Amino acid sequence: MNELLEKISDCIEFGKINLASPYPPQMKGLEGADELTAKALQEGTPPQDVLTKGLMPGMEKVGRKFRENKVFVPQVLMSAKAMSTALLHLKPHFLSGAAKQKGTFIIGTVLGDLHDIGKNLVAMMVEGSGYKVIDLGTDVSAETFIEALEENPGAVVGLSALLTTTMVNMQKITNEIKAAMPETLIAIGGAPVSEEFCEKIGADNYSADPQGVVEFLNQKFL
Amino acid sequence: MKEFHIQFDELVIDLDEVVSILGFTRYDLPEPFASYLQEALHFSESLQDIRAVFRIVDQVKIDDQHGKVIAGEIDLQVGRTVCNELNGSERLAFFICTAGKTISDKCTQLLQGENPVLGYVYDVMGSAIAEASGDRIQQILKQDAEKETYRITNRYSPGYCNWNVADQHKLFSLFQNITCGVTLTPSALMQPVKSISGVIGIGHEVTYREYPCTLCSSKQCVYRRIRQL
Repeated sequence: MNELLEKISDCIEFGKINLASPYPPQMKGLEGADELTAKALQEGTPPQDVLTKGLMPGMEKVGRKFRENKVFVPQVLMSAKAMSTALLHLKPHFLSGAAKQKGTFIIGTVLGDLHDIGKNLVAMMVEGSGYKVIDLGTDVSAETFIEALEENPGAVVGLSALLTTTMVNMQKITNEIKAAMPETLIAIGGAPVSEEFCEKIGADNYSADPQGVVEFLNQKFL
Repeated sequence: MKEFHIQFDELVIDLDEVVSILGFTRYDLPEPFASYLQEALHFSESLQDIRAVFRIVDQVKIDDQHGKVIAGEIDLQVGRTVCNELNGSERLAFFICTAGKTISDKCTQLLQGENPVLGYVYDVMGSAIAEASGDRIQQILKQDAEKETYRITNRYSPGYCNWNVADQHKLFSLFQNITCGVTLTPSALMQPVKSISGVIGIGHEVTYREYPCTLCSSKQCVYRRIRQL
């Protein structure tokens, strides 16, 4: 990995957004993901390399550290912000085909549930791992998921719920998606959800943390 | 039934807890979190919609074998853990309190908009205000109870310790629409989101116990993750 890509990876890992950002303290006054990504592209680094050898390794490290309780939600949010800033530079290259995302992930918090912090963390982590993410927001019905799937064939669906009362809706949505599009893979997550519940409702993956979703997607798309 | 407004300066906000949920200590809180926390604190000081209500029900039965509590006209499936904690209660105080719509809306706006990191700091602050409001109710109930030589238990909420969150609807029915502006969605989610509800036992034989994470089945809860460290 070249030095610039390593620095980009560090910026994502530690949540260094840009030169002006004071966070993290040990990187104060240094260029961030914003400037370094622009510089890498200007120097001719292939956009695909910026994504897969710079941004994604950084995000993977964050995901692992979150799983191991070495960082918490705010630090992940800072990393995600650094990531989204860098991705703005890559967007034209995604559109031109010079950089390719690995697949599409459609995510939403299920009908009746308005919690979105956990769902947002997953969306950010998945996007940072090289996937196109379609975030349908909160309180999402089966119909909305199915419409999004029709527009994005082959996408994997992620369902989030924080309330025990909305786990019922997770089951209904899973059933309706599977009835309409049996091949669709569905990942579920959220505080009240478990591996057993996942098996019971016929979903394809339960992940206790965002990195688990990334690992599931990597298995399916690689 | 007693409904009242709470001023921010009446609340005891545990800033160490707030900072620890952010993943830092007060001695190593870096920028931008230090500024964000100051901003959220400053915003919170001007809140005028922190409110609370409680109702004490005298006719109670704790059925710990079936994990059920009967309070006046309602029965609640609180689960065995909560029943155990409420055992000995001669009265039950049900409560609703809210950090208010202002901070809840601010959190949503920031989390979904331009600054999710700042939004998360507001979110943590909003939760701390709601919990501190619960502490305030508990303090008032304790003072009232002690006048009659009663004691109180800790507070317990639907959604925790296997108490089905759907029971919120029954709990709210006790308040006959005097709910501090807090409403329930069909799935029992409180709005404004920075609100808590629950029950506190009152009696001569009850025991106040701290609320350890081991009582709760939520293994992925952010508070448990932090307290384990």
